Amino acid sequence: MSLITIIWSMSASACLALAGINILVWSRDRKAWANLLFSLAAIGTAAFAFCELGMMRAGTPAEFATVLKWGHVAVWLLIVSLVGFVRVYLRAGRPWLAWMVCGLRTLALVLNFLVGQNLNYLEITRLRHISFLGESVQIAEGVPNPWMLVGQLSFVSLVIFVADASITAWRRGDRHRALSAGGSILFFTLVGAGQSLLVFWGIVQVPIVASTSFTGLVAVMGYELSGEMIRASELGRKLQESEAGLHEIEARMRLAVEGADFGIWIRDLTRNGIWATDKWRALFGFPETEQLELDHILQRLHPDDRDAFRLVLEKATEGDGSYETEYRVLLPGGEVRWIGSRGRVEFDGAGKPILARGVSHDITGRKEAEQETQSLRQEIAHVGRVSMMGQLASALAHEINQPLGAILRNAEAAELFLEDKSPDLEEVRAILADIRTDDQRAGNVIDRMRGLLKRQNLDKRPVDVGQLVGEVAALVRSDAAARHVRLEWAVADDLPPVLGDPVHLQQVLLNLIVNGMDALDEASPADRRVSVTAALDGPKTVEIAVSDSGRGVPADKLTHIFDPFFTSKANGMGMGLPISRTIIEAHNGRLWAENRNEGGARFRFTLPIAEEDASK
Amino acid sequence: MSVTVPIVHVVDDDASFLTAISRLLRANGFSVKTHASAHEFLAQRDADAPGCVLADLRMPQMDGLDLQSALAQSPNPLPILFLTGHGDIPSSVRAMRDGAEDFLEKRAPKEKLIDAVTRALARDSRERAARDRQRELRARFDTLTDRELEVLSHVVQGQLNKQIAWDLGIHERTVKLHRTAITTKLKVQSVAELTRLTQEASIFPEPVRTLPKGQ
Repeated sequence: MSLITIIWSMSASACLALAGINILVWSRDRKAWANLLFSLAAIGTAAFAFCELGMMRAGTPAEFATVLKWGHVAVWLLIVSLVGFVRVYLRAGRPWLAWMVCGLRTLALVLNFLVGQNLNYLEITRLRHISFLGESVQIAEGVPNPWMLVGQLSFVSLVIFVADASITAWRRGDRHRALSAGGSILFFTLVGAGQSLLVFWGIVQVPIVASTSFTGLVAVMGYELSGEMIRASELGRKLQESEAGLHEIEARMRLAVEGADFGIWIRDLTRNGIWATDKWRALFGFPETEQLELDHILQRLHPDDRDAFRLVLEKATEGDGSYETEYRVLLPGGEVRWIGSRGRVEFDGAGKPILARGVSHDITGRKEAEQETQSLRQEIAHVGRVSMMGQLASALAHEINQPLGAILRNAEAAELFLEDKSPDLEEVRAILADIRTDDQRAGNVIDRMRGLLKRQNLDKRPVDVGQLVGEVAALVRSDAAARHVRLEWAVADDLPPVLGDPVHLQQVLLNLIVNGMDALDEASPADRRVSVTAALDGPKTVEIAVSDSGRGVPADKLTHIFDPFFTSKANGMGMGLPISRTIIEAHNGRLWAENRNEGGARFRFTLPIAEEDASK
Repeated sequence: MSVTVPIVHVVDDDASFLTAISRLLRANGFSVKTHASAHEFLAQRDADAPGCVLADLRMPQMDGLDLQSALAQSPNPLPILFLTGHGDIPSSVRAMRDGAEDFLEKRAPKEKLIDAVTRALARDSRERAARDRQRELRARFDTLTDRELEVLSHVVQGQLNKQIAWDLGIHERTVKLHRTAITTKLKVQSVAELTRLTQEASIFPEPVRTLPKGQ
């Protein structure tokens, strides 16, 4: 086989192979116009190479002319494709220049079929054998077609178009593409077109070998495009890798979230859409398919927690965006579930909330444990109060032992006196009188004990306030110590006695002190204080105040705490304060509550002082 | 050294009980003085007089325990017995630890009460005698001069006159003169008696303590 056949066939088939690959690329990705246009240019080059081969091997001038005529179709395809390729690949080039190149080339193609034997020759007169690459090949001799200028003009405008496009791309910063694609197109076009120009005008006597230049052009462009393809595939691989990484992260997060039993939700505040994980839906009892809306979610909240939750959301939007809250959810089955929720609102540049996201989890177990602790604490408090009642009983036992002891000793003494030979009967009589008095005293103590447990008519008499406070303080002292409460009392000196029933007043004071200690259950052990003060309030009134260092009474409840059955304690009867107020009012006094500026509550009551003539 | 009758001081804010218990104690042959409060008792008390105190544990202002500590400050503390309507453990523990003679309920059996009072008076008399003896001894030792005390401290350690003279840098004859003065003033016959008396009066607490105690 001849060298020429080998070279031309090989370059043509190389072009076809590149064209095939790039058509394949384009068929996969229809947006890869550069690949398609490249393929067309390569096909055109291949076709022209075959034409060149045909011309070199032509038997007659007519055959030569016909092959050349059809070769112009290939050239047209090559040039139009090149223009398109440059536009797409360099993303540059003046459209009017592009249209001019295509127009001139098309005109040349039309002239190729209308004028003379082909665009180049009006008539090929004869073929001449010359030696080329060690072989004998045919070249034409004849009358050049002047319309050939149109075709050459199209080459000139192509060169201008490509040069202009390359400069634009270069200036834009696409230097590599401008140099490699633009530069090579310019170089090979000039070489290829220049060689044929010299041949056709009969200046040099060689065969047309433009296809070799164009093959070089195709090779460079093919190389460029394959580089693009390699980059694209690398990008694709990286994308795949990062996607795999993303999947991995997502999977890990899902695992963590599910492991921690967190439900995640995101709320788009601009469009009001809510997205939540399946876990979250399960927590709130929403099926996986149901469209989530804020109103539906709010409906699911326990009615007592709804307003508080709404307030938290509002505050978060006004503040730094983050919030943390706990609330109950009423599940469709009627079950109550405690939810702990933590989230954040995100704002746009203008400070407008756009997105809220957060996690929710089931804290029912913890809440139940807390409630159990709470009720246990209250039970302990109750036991404490019961034991205080026991203390009260023992205090009364002490009081009753006093007269009983006196009776016993008197009786024993009387027995001894009567053993005497001449007993002092006067003394014995006095003893018996004392025994009777002490018996009455003991009876009184018992009556008062009953009165303490059951309300009774008041037995008003002058009562020493210091003694009253001291006795009650002694009663609660051990209870206070057990509950780590410091009990202080300060009674003004020379305080006149007040008029009242000591047992009932004791009960009031006891109730207020125990209330004060109850209010300290949650206070820090370092600051648990209940103090009792008593001082003159005007000329005829004594005021006694019981203050605690607790949290105080909510302002809106200050008046209600005296209502019967109003209580803030789990086991409270709500009767202590109303009874206390009734007792104080029966003493012509007043009982009221206030919050101290330094924290805690203060209960104050007044009692009238015992007038001189009122005391017997 | 007057031989006065010991007095049982009863302190209670309850007048009725005060009268009753004083009757019982008198009927049992005790001399009794009643006091309505601890302050009153402390104010009226004859510090030298023998006796004991029977006090209510719970009293307004100064209670039984306060009275006990006030009494302990005096040179002649009287034994104290507590009375209470009902026993409470912390108070009784403190009272007993601080040397209370006994802790009685107000309605305790008569015999127990009488026994306790008798025992308290006996203890007072015993402690009083020991205190009197000690005071008398100390009064004797008080007559010694500083130099004589110094010589005495060496004598009771069993040193010979020569050693004492050397230690104190004085003549042996001077030591002898001091020893004569000491035995005369303390009215003792022998070194053995001198040593015993010195111990009994606790004149030299430190060195004497190292010697075996003779009782």
